[in-house]
Amino acid sequence: MLCERCKKNNATVFYRESINGKERSLSLCEECAEKARKNGELETEFPVDGFFTKPLMGVDKLFGSLFGFPQLVGQTTSDGKKCPLCGATFRDLMAEGKAGCPECYKTFSDELSSTISRIHGATTHTGGAPSRFKAGRDLKQKIRSLEKGIKTAVEEENYEEAARLRDELRAIRAEKGDEEK
Amino acid sequence: MKWYESCGKDRDVIVSSRVRLARNIVDYPFGDRLDDASKKEIIAKVKDALADGKEYVFRDFASLSETERIAAEEEHAVSPEFARGSGPRALIESADGTAFIMILEEDHIRIQTITPGFSLDEAFDKAREIDGKLDSKLNIAYDEKLGYLTHCPTNLGTGMRASVMMFLPGIAHSGDLRSLQNQLGKIGLTIRGMAGEGSSADGCLFQISNQVTLGVSEEETVAKLVQITERLIEQERTLRRKMYEADREALTDRIMRSYGVMLYATLVDTQELFRLYSDVRLGVSLGVIDCVTAERLDRILVKCMPAVLIRDNDGVRDARSRDRARAETIRRLLSGAPEGKK
Ligand SMILES: [Zn+2]
Ligand SMILES: [Zn+2]
Repeated sequence: MLCERCKKNNATVFYRESINGKERSLSLCEECAEKARKNGELETEFPVDGFFTKPLMGVDKLFGSLFGFPQLVGQTTSDGKKCPLCGATFRDLMAEGKAGCPECYKTFSDELSSTISRIHGATTHTGGAPSRFKAGRDLKQKIRSLEKGIKTAVEEENYEEAARLRDELRAIRAEKGDEEK
Repeated sequence: MKWYESCGKDRDVIVSSRVRLARNIVDYPFGDRLDDASKKEIIAKVKDALADGKEYVFRDFASLSETERIAAEEEHAVSPEFARGSGPRALIESADGTAFIMILEEDHIRIQTITPGFSLDEAFDKAREIDGKLDSKLNIAYDEKLGYLTHCPTNLGTGMRASVMMFLPGIAHSGDLRSLQNQLGKIGLTIRGMAGEGSSADGCLFQISNQVTLGVSEEETVAKLVQITERLIEQERTLRRKMYEADREALTDRIMRSYGVMLYATLVDTQELFRLYSDVRLGVSLGVIDCVTAERLDRILVKCMPAVLIRDNDGVRDARSRDRARAETIRRLLSGAPEGKK
């Protein structure tokens, strides 16, 4: 896709905002985007919804534009890549401000990671999980604590304990490997 | 019991407590990418998952009239998006009126619980119980790193929004709302006004909720909101007293005038209702009025919303007949025997 302004370079910066229901979108190259920023065209603040909006309204609008804000989108366009489940491209995700399906998060995990950490100030979930993931989560935690235990034991030159923990870890890993096959 | 039918803790400041969980089923796309056949499949799956007990009522939401849909929104049973959206969608309601499962709102599934007064733990436990039931029957979309996978990335992680609806005439009067908004924003909470049509702040109702859902556990989210809410309750009570002490006579006059209008008016529009509600509710908490309870006023507010009025009363069509029915409803509910215990 070519830049809307110069029509020469590839567009790498996508800007989208919605003001009072009117949508405005721009696809620019980095050069033209920089100019636009300097001219104050892209200088709009995050359109934080008014204080007295109706409940639940406005959240999507706010983050829809957050999602497409030029600085957050970065330079990758990932033009060819499509989500295997829903067929969405990364550009679709940006235009909609939302994922196309649960699988999109895997497909576009690299492209989305900075946006996600910008929104939440974190990158890793620490809360609850569906039951089918709980066993895996517990196992992971167990492995992590065993690894830590081995390290401590070695540091304390408690080799007997380290060997015991290593055997336990090996057993768990062997079991896990079987499960996955 | 429905949130406006029983009292609950700290009702002078807290109207209701809510928890919402966003859930999706693996292998189905989101939103517009779903065709009608898939939508119907999802509805059937969720319905089946909760079919074991008699404690749920299933409603084909798309087949309801617009009045019924908007009325459900006004009762806080469903979101505005869900009430006003289009295409196949369904609502499953718990028989006790505290839980609403929206199927095909923004996400495939939105579990929402709403309980009276300051009762976030209760709302959370109820939501988690339903979540567990759905989880045992459905493949819920989840990623070890990102948590529950949701249509909008703002809900990733827990997919949880916990909120309290607060009545804050003291804080509103003090003019500190802006700074409160900023303070809450810094700790990952948001505050929104909950006024009626015409969007004036007359109702003094505000919803405070968590913003961030990734990197914090459900328990931490609830605990933080509880902690902040407790502080706000104290602050609000202090400011109400201060406002009262500043000019008892003038405030009492305003409250009693509003109460008088509630008792005797023939026509009341929505905007006036919010003002009357706010004055009289404040009067109740200050002890100026003792013949009505806060929860009764909350019930009046809900029962006098435009679509609810049209749904519940015969012959209500235009604005005039609505204002008349509203005034009648206020009078009727004010004169009834007190509900719940203080
Ligand atoms: Zn250009
Ligand atoms: Zn996808």
